[in-house]
Amino acid sequence: MSKLNRLNEKIWQFFSSVDLAVALFIVISIGAAIGTVIPQRSEPDIVIKFFSKFLPMNLSLNLYEIVSLLDLNNVYHSWWFTFLLFMFALNLVICSIDRLPNLLKSIKKPTQPYPESFLRSISTKKEFIYKSKRQEILEKMLNLLKHNKFSTTLFETSQGIQIYCSRWSKSRLAVYLTHFSILIILAGALVGTFFGLRGYINIVEGTSSNLAILDNGRPIYLPFEIACDKFEVEFYENSSVPKAYRSYIRIIEDGKNVKLNNKENFVVEVNEPFTYKNITFYQATYGFQLTEHTLFKFKFLNNEKEYLVNLEFEKKNKLPNTNVYISVIDFSPALGVDEEGRFFTMDSSMINPAALILFEEGNRKFHKWILARVPESWQTPYGQLKLTEVWGAQFTGLQFKKDPGVILIYIGSTLLCVGLFICLFFRPLRFFVFLEGNKVIFYLPTKKESVLSEIDKILNKLEGK
Amino acid sequence: MSYQVIAIAGFIYIIAMPIYVVHLITKSKKVGYLATASFLLGLLIHLIGFVQRYKEMYAINQSLLHSIPITNLYESIVFFVLCLVGGYLFIEWKYKKKALGVFVSTLAGIIISLTDLLGVTKEVQPLVPALKSNWLLAHVTLSFISYAAFAVGFITAALHIVVASESKKSFKYILSTFLLGFMLFTFISVIIDILYSSNPKTVRIFQSTLGNSSAVVSTISWIALLSFILGFWYIGDKIKNLLTTLRIDSDFLEEITYKMIAFGFPIFTIGGLVFGAIWAEQAWGRYWGWDPKETWSLITWFVYAFYLHSKFIRGWRGTKTSIIAVLGFLVTLFTYLGVNLFLSGLHSYGSM
Repeated sequence: MSKLNRLNEKIWQFFSSVDLAVALFIVISIGAAIGTVIPQRSEPDIVIKFFSKFLPMNLSLNLYEIVSLLDLNNVYHSWWFTFLLFMFALNLVICSIDRLPNLLKSIKKPTQPYPESFLRSISTKKEFIYKSKRQEILEKMLNLLKHNKFSTTLFETSQGIQIYCSRWSKSRLAVYLTHFSILIILAGALVGTFFGLRGYINIVEGTSSNLAILDNGRPIYLPFEIACDKFEVEFYENSSVPKAYRSYIRIIEDGKNVKLNNKENFVVEVNEPFTYKNITFYQATYGFQLTEHTLFKFKFLNNEKEYLVNLEFEKKNKLPNTNVYISVIDFSPALGVDEEGRFFTMDSSMINPAALILFEEGNRKFHKWILARVPESWQTPYGQLKLTEVWGAQFTGLQFKKDPGVILIYIGSTLLCVGLFICLFFRPLRFFVFLEGNKVIFYLPTKKESVLSEIDKILNKLEGK
Repeated sequence: MSYQVIAIAGFIYIIAMPIYVVHLITKSKKVGYLATASFLLGLLIHLIGFVQRYKEMYAINQSLLHSIPITNLYESIVFFVLCLVGGYLFIEWKYKKKALGVFVSTLAGIIISLTDLLGVTKEVQPLVPALKSNWLLAHVTLSFISYAAFAVGFITAALHIVVASESKKSFKYILSTFLLGFMLFTFISVIIDILYSSNPKTVRIFQSTLGNSSAVVSTISWIALLSFILGFWYIGDKIKNLLTTLRIDSDFLEEITYKMIAFGFPIFTIGGLVFGAIWAEQAWGRYWGWDPKETWSLITWFVYAFYLHSKFIRGWRGTKTSIIAVLGFLVTLFTYLGVNLFLSGLHSYGSM
């Protein structure tokens, strides 16, 4: 029985020790660091290729065996990493329980004076001789200590008066707040893993969809449809540096537009997600895809009059006020010109949309590229034709997720910060003052210069310097 | 342009270093004042450059908040040095001790020179959409304030080990003197790099010394580096005497190290980790994604958590804990620069 108790005690001590905590810090750090070097969640050949950059091939293959055995190509979701985090949590809980009684004791004020031998064993001692009355100096000192936020407890002993001074001793409890908050954060991560949902959905301009793909590749249907009315990339003036990515969306549920705060049109932007029914949508990607309903919108300037001309792909339309028929026969989202003057598509995003227009006037036919962002290209024999917009030829890629654990993460993070600030900015301090004969002696269990200089100031004021 | 003003500030920081050295050796009060005055002048010019940069950013972005210049590698380095010098001068004023200035000015000089030697762009760039966030602002600002605190903690910790180690053969003593010697060599090397470069954009760090195309210069440089390191290793006790006469002892160094980390750690937690997580949640839809930068921030956090807990381990006092502060800053540097240079990730400072 006693053997069992001893074993119990040993296990308890092991799990409550700071040594274990520190060992876990180190091991978790090393594990996490490995994950930043070896390619994660990738095919075996990528990992082997990575090793073969600095190792011979057969060694790389052998190394891959070890990697896949220990899940080193998926460190953060491996059994051993999860196990380490679990140990970390266990260590926190047991360590907290183990230390609570001692901590509570250290916060309490003493009920009887400390033996004089204890005071004499304290490392730093500062003393001075006073000339005024004892009561006077005592009052002055207590006031000064109070002014510096120290609480004091007085004991009359046979040798003199012993004063126990302490400040911010309760801030020791903030350690519990800090440790507890880490548990909340870990719990939040767990909730997210088990009850969360992540994936992406692509919607072409002018269409709606509820078919989404989860990160694990499984398709699902969202409980509502999302319609994308328009996607746009805003650029900084005269440059191809993007300023903003924007999707104009509507939510359709049971065939009707959903209204939130009396609005039914919503905007999703980078850093400005949109949330409906606990599912949050983020602007993630976009792309170009010519569809049947793609509309090329032009402004036509003829005889100082402006007309709007809309063209569908490869469909003829008459230019207003003329006998000319025009149609779009080719399109590029980003037309560039190479060194030999040939046109080529340089990007799949709509940096500089351009349409190849076929002009037909009776038997006369010719074609010409019109570039949205190059004014020189708008000139035609019939007037200025400006490409203003290509609508319905882009899709917006929205990432979505549902994570009920996030609220726990936020609560935990807030508590963590509060706890740390109290812990580290309000360092508890205690010391003793002893009035003996005509001497005042400060016993300080610290050598910290900032503390000593504070005490020096009190002493100086006390001596009336 | 603002970067020219900031370059002048960097130049003054470099000038301040030898003045601090003269102060350390002669202990002349006048030289001490001169050293502080030059460092302070550098800081003032630096601030002017910072404000000017802000105006240039504002002209492009038209947003009061999003124009704070901390959005690319160059600006982040500049801001880091600003925090480092400002923070150090505060400590110097509070404790009335100047000797640490030698090492702080060395570090400030090296890091500000990196803006010329890493080939980073100094032009004012418009903000890409992902960076337009107030969380980002708080995230980056607080991160660099904490990095600056860790940097001062690194210097005091390394000096603490040099001053308090009993054996010159111990690993921590060798590592600390190695790092201090290496720092000094790097300081001189980057100055030569910049002096001998016709066009700063084409110069790489150590190109004019260790990596010189002439074998003779390169060999001499390696010998110089080795002698700097061995020299520091050898004169450790002399440094101790020098510092002691300037009222800097082992207890003081230990106290400042602890103070710096106790200040930097909560700032790093809230700014580096929590605000970063909130920003990631808003921009990418996940608060944590094991991106290399995130992972290395967590590792940095663990190392400093180790430091703060080490005093509760039996037998861990004094120089043994200081070595963690030294390692902590090396990890911080890797998180800050190394991740971008060697590992790929989502953070924008990666593109230079």
